[in-house]
Amino acid sequence: MPAVISQTKCTGCGLCDLFCPIDVIHMEGDVAIMRYPDECWHCGACRLHCSKGAVTFEFPASMAGI
Amino acid sequence: MITPEIIEIKTDVAVIGGGTAGLNCAMAAAESDCDVLVVEKANIVRSGAIAGGIDHFMAYMENGEDWDSREAYLGYVARVAKGASNLKIHEKVYCDELPAAIERIESLGISLRDPRYPNSQDFFRTQSMGQPGPYWINFDGKKLKPRMAREVNRRGCRVLNRVQVTNIFLHDGELAGFTGFDIRTGDFYLIHAKTIIISTGNTNRMFRTQNGNPFNLWYCPANTGDLHRAAYDAGVELANMEYVRMTIVTKGFSTPGFNAFFGMGCKLVNSLGESFTKNYHPMGDKAPRNVMVWGALQEIKEGRGPIYMDARHLSTEDLDHLFKTLGTDKDTLPDYLAAKGYLKDGAMIEMTVSEPMQARPSELCGAGIKIDENCASNVPGIYAAGDAADQMGCLHMCTAGGFAAGKAAAAYAGTVTKHHPVDMTAVRDERERVFKPLGRNSGLHYSEFENVVRIITSDHFGPIKTELSLNAALEKLDGIDGERNNLRATNLHELMRCHESSNIHQVAKIMAHAALVRKESRFAPYHYRADYLETDDDNYCGLIGISKGADGQAQTRFEPLEYPI
Ligand SMILES: Cc1cc2nc3c(=O)[nH]c(=O)nc-3n(C[C@H](O)[C@H](O)[C@H](O)COP(=O)(O)OP(=O)(O)OC[C@H]3O[C@@H](n4cnc5c(N)ncnc54)[C@H](O)[C@@H]3O)c2cc1C
Ligand code: SF4
Ligand code: SF4
Repeated sequence: MPAVISQTKCTGCGLCDLFCPIDVIHMEGDVAIMRYPDECWHCGACRLHCSKGAVTFEFPASMAGI
Repeated sequence: MITPEIIEIKTDVAVIGGGTAGLNCAMAAAESDCDVLVVEKANIVRSGAIAGGIDHFMAYMENGEDWDSREAYLGYVARVAKGASNLKIHEKVYCDELPAAIERIESLGISLRDPRYPNSQDFFRTQSMGQPGPYWINFDGKKLKPRMAREVNRRGCRVLNRVQVTNIFLHDGELAGFTGFDIRTGDFYLIHAKTIIISTGNTNRMFRTQNGNPFNLWYCPANTGDLHRAAYDAGVELANMEYVRMTIVTKGFSTPGFNAFFGMGCKLVNSLGESFTKNYHPMGDKAPRNVMVWGALQEIKEGRGPIYMDARHLSTEDLDHLFKTLGTDKDTLPDYLAAKGYLKDGAMIEMTVSEPMQARPSELCGAGIKIDENCASNVPGIYAAGDAADQMGCLHMCTAGGFAAGKAAAAYAGTVTKHHPVDMTAVRDERERVFKPLGRNSGLHYSEFENVVRIITSDHFGPIKTELSLNAALEKLDGIDGERNNLRATNLHELMRCHESSNIHQVAKIMAHAALVRKESRFAPYHYRADYLETDDDNYCGLIGISKGADGQAQTRFEPLEYPI
């Protein structure tokens, strides 16, 4: 998983969805969902705009493991 | 399939792609009496290359040192970008605009001053990439993109976010308008414009990546040559398209960082622990990027890989700053380095060579739409800026040159008395083409198609090429035209990706055609012809212009470039 959104911390402001340059986060109801995790560029824009600290990064084995 | 209404909008100047260059274009055009519209695939606040931040701006500053003058800088351009950079255009779009560009950035509240000390009035300048002195200003550009976006709004430009532009329409050989669709609502737009500036960046996702994920890229995966393809189809000439650009990246995570590592004094070493870059260039770790990549490829090929970034000799203060500025440029790189367990002390960070991409062979030119000194293409009304133009690229040129393009395009729009008509039958056909993948029950998914493209390009010209390999690539790329015209999408996000994949495929063909014509090697490995190993300045010091002929086939011509040295 790349950007990981905590469903408990997310308050649904929608900024991460709005500013993701690759269109990979979509709001579903009141929470942000990482809909296309394989397409995340890891640019960090979502985290930069999340005032709730709901976005963290996890690097898959195909990145951190090699 | 959906057939939405055609929403028509009129503007004087339209900027296609609201990235670094596009926002500077818009700011400049807004200073005229023109209406300005920015059409952007994502959201201008955080779209494109510098979405997550940026940290180096190249500039000479006339501070009295020999290397710090305009003349010395142009000598550097002539040495390092010979055969790709047109000095006359470079002076016009970069040198003439540089002081204003620096002022403009700072007027947005982004300090270009030493990021290591709060309130510093000094510039922190570092040297790499063959520079004769420290031309890189290291700064904190984390907020540069949102500040530029705010300024574009403040100057009264209209913005259409989340609209992917799909095609350009001419009338009697001059620009008339363009189409695009909203990637979330499916709304379909026809924009009537007196002039457009294409600033959609370079083409990514075209070659295999180090870990197999096509989105794990150094450059922005949303830039997929959409407008290189559309412009080419409209008769616009492109140049510098034969070059395949690469860099040195951390193993497992393709990110920028080259300037920061080498600017701060890191050394690239092989698996014997030997610093090797001096074997390839007298400037060693301060050599031009392509030479560093070439050296790294040789070390790996000859069995002395993996390669490492040796930062062990840096002072604690420099190391602290290095890790901080790496995160300014690529927000998540420090997280990655921490996840890999690299401690700041004694760091030997494993590196590798990045994926190739379609882009400029040097930081001192561009690759794409061929522009003149006014940033105009060969088609009246079509201008280009930034990584999408053949004579611009990197932050310094996108900022300075973007502004130049905006001014020139607005001046041109001022001379056009009324909008040219757009052929509505062609627009309706385009709407059908655009939405067709949504109605298909069979056909390839974009990811599968794109993977096939990447295998072909990587095997045949990623980066090493010969006449045989290029011809074979073209045959194979032509062989999947049927699949490209039969892609399937189940939602609007996938529809956008279908068009991106399709454009990547078509730009790959343009690259292969251009590479066939340049029968020499230049900026190796960016254009490395295994059948023509030497650089041949007598015959190839210049640009290969490539455009679509009347018969639909690629046609090329050579334009020589002259250098004083
Ligand atoms: C992470 C990173 C760090 C970098 N660091 C430095 C540095 O420190 N110094 C330096 O000099 N250079 C650096 N570079 C290079 C520099 O940032 C780029 O050359 C420059 O920002 C490119 O600007 P641009 O406007 O041409 O492209 P971009 O800023 O990428 O803008 C292109 C825009 O076009 C949009 N777009 C694409 N297709 C379409 C379409 N079909 N319809 C509508 N819109 C579309 C995209 O969404 C994007 O917003 C870095 C690059 C990256 C990726
Ligand atoms: S920015 Fe944060 S709080 Fe807002 S929607 Fe995204 S994850 Fe939720
Ligand atoms: S890191 Fe960037 S690409 Fe990935 S989800 Fe966040 S904003 Fe989107």
